[in-house]
Amino acid sequence: MVRVFNTLCVALMGLAILALYHVSEKTRVANVELTNVNREIAREQASMSVLETEWERVAGPAKIQALAQTNLGLTGAPTVQLSSFDALPRRGEEAPLSDTPIHQASVQVATPRPAQ
Amino acid sequence: MKQGPTIYQRRIVIGAALCVAAFALVGVRLVDVTLFRRGEATAIAGDGLFARADIVDRNGELLARDLPVVDLYVRPHALYDKDQAALDLSRITGTDYPRLKAAFDHAKSPYVLVARQLTPDIQDKVMHLGLPGLEFEPNIKRYYTNGRAAAQLLGVTDPDGNGQSGLEGGLDVQLRTAPTIPVQISVDMRVQYILANEVEAARKTFRALSAGGVVMDVNTGEILAMVSVPDFDPNWRHLSGDDSDHNIMAADRYELGSVFKVLSFALAMEDHTTTPDEVFPIGNGFRIGKFTIHEAEHMPATYTAREVLAHSSNIGTAQIALRSGGVRQRQFLDSMGVLHILHTELSEFARPLYPAAKNWGTIETATIGFGHGISVAPLSYIAAAAIVVNGGRRVAPTFLKHPADGRGEQVLKPETSLKMRELLRYVVTNGTGRKADIAGYDVGGKTGSAEKPIPNGHGYQAHVLVTSFLGVFPIDDPRYIVFVLLDTPHGTKDTGGIALAGSTAAPLAGRVISRIAPILNVPRRPVVPGHENT
Repeated sequence: MVRVFNTLCVALMGLAILALYHVSEKTRVANVELTNVNREIAREQASMSVLETEWERVAGPAKIQALAQTNLGLTGAPTVQLSSFDALPRRGEEAPLSDTPIHQASVQVATPRPAQ
Repeated sequence: MKQGPTIYQRRIVIGAALCVAAFALVGVRLVDVTLFRRGEATAIAGDGLFARADIVDRNGELLARDLPVVDLYVRPHALYDKDQAALDLSRITGTDYPRLKAAFDHAKSPYVLVARQLTPDIQDKVMHLGLPGLEFEPNIKRYYTNGRAAAQLLGVTDPDGNGQSGLEGGLDVQLRTAPTIPVQISVDMRVQYILANEVEAARKTFRALSAGGVVMDVNTGEILAMVSVPDFDPNWRHLSGDDSDHNIMAADRYELGSVFKVLSFALAMEDHTTTPDEVFPIGNGFRIGKFTIHEAEHMPATYTAREVLAHSSNIGTAQIALRSGGVRQRQFLDSMGVLHILHTELSEFARPLYPAAKNWGTIETATIGFGHGISVAPLSYIAAAAIVVNGGRRVAPTFLKHPADGRGEQVLKPETSLKMRELLRYVVTNGTGRKADIAGYDVGGKTGSAEKPIPNGHGYQAHVLVTSFLGVFPIDDPRYIVFVLLDTPHGTKDTGGIALAGSTAAPLAGRVISRIAPILNVPRRPVVPGHENT
């Protein structure tokens, strides 16, 4: 009985050694893969970092203004041309802006010519 | 008779127990690694990429970031043709050819540094040369996405990543301590760009030596924009031509001239030494001892106090300042903070210059009343002006995002602040600040045109001015101050050759306000013809 038990224990130990070796080897391989993946992540993060920076540069106000001026012919709008939805007249109400010329220190808007 | 276990059996049991213990240890470690330390791999992956934290604006837009670059070294002994290699590397990296050739020919060490902080595209070009003996050493470079627009404000780092100036210098510890956590500053890059754009345009138009501007939230103390031109490209470490890395708004001090009258009037309103409707004699000169105070331009015989401020009368303001007296004036300016160094998150600051208490006599009280004889940093003045308009409470300028109300100690009575807002609005509707009036936005403000002191001498340079404008909007419930300054502007054909603040700084502030007010969601008043702001 003891002999059988001993044999089983030795067999179990042998199996355990094999299993441990297997796990150890898998761990080593996984570690190598992990290192590679970490390196890849770091490389991708660096690329993303560069791309984000590049995007911020090309989408910056200086670029947008230059593009708007050269390609669309846009310039800064005087504040009289800006409004909000709250300021829009309700149906039937008289519009706050008419054809009367605006004489104001920061901007002058001429009276529109009547259609010929 | 029952026998005990033999020595072999005991050894087997002990061996088995050790095996069980070893496996239990492995099992515990397995559970520990798989269940409790799952985040470690991620942490490792991100480690070591950045040395300094990103700087982002109040809306999260990236302003400064460490980017991976490489330093290029060459082993000259591995090169077949050193001359050609030096020529090619010099062409691609921008390194000085004679220096490179000399370094290759007479190398004292096995490696020669060719260039630092090469970007990936330059690295690719170098690689395509196919030269032997190239070594690329990983490094990082601080990159500023908006270039010149926020150059002095953000500052720069040295090649080793230490903050040298601006916020990079002032926030150095914070940026280095937690490099993975972005530092969010109070600046709004949209406002910063507009201010930079307009200030640079005005500097060119009026051929000024330098110019600057600040936009500040008067309730939170947040600086939304700060500009100083001439500026420089922070991504290119060398200053070239007209470039300057000096921040005139924080590191310089100026005799600001008539914008200081705002503080004199605040004192008078606080102490009730005058009322807006009291009439003052103006005349052609105001004599104090052996000195005579003159006006910058012709003025009528009398003005009300309101008109004294609106038309920026030195004589009227001197009389108002003298009513308070030197002791009270000094104590008041001290309480407003302009007699102290203003420390912010910037690494730059300026020590104010003013007379010692024993020399603060009658003439000093009069001249300081209209902004001469005292030099302060523009940022320090802006902090004081914020107290005047924000209900009278002290607020510390900050460059870190802090959207909550930052007002503290009550320095002025709220009624004083209210009266001052009315007076500042009157300056823009009826006085020297008309060109800052913007349709739809009620702007208040004050112009300042100060003759520059003679360097290292006594007296002032005639017609050599520092012009400035303090703008506040919306004036009925102020949220923002726009302060602009032009150092030595020249009149143009459009201004009739006049270089005073009303023709140079006021329209500049007006343009800035008209562009930033819609972005900042400042409520806009409908413009009704015939009822404009004029």
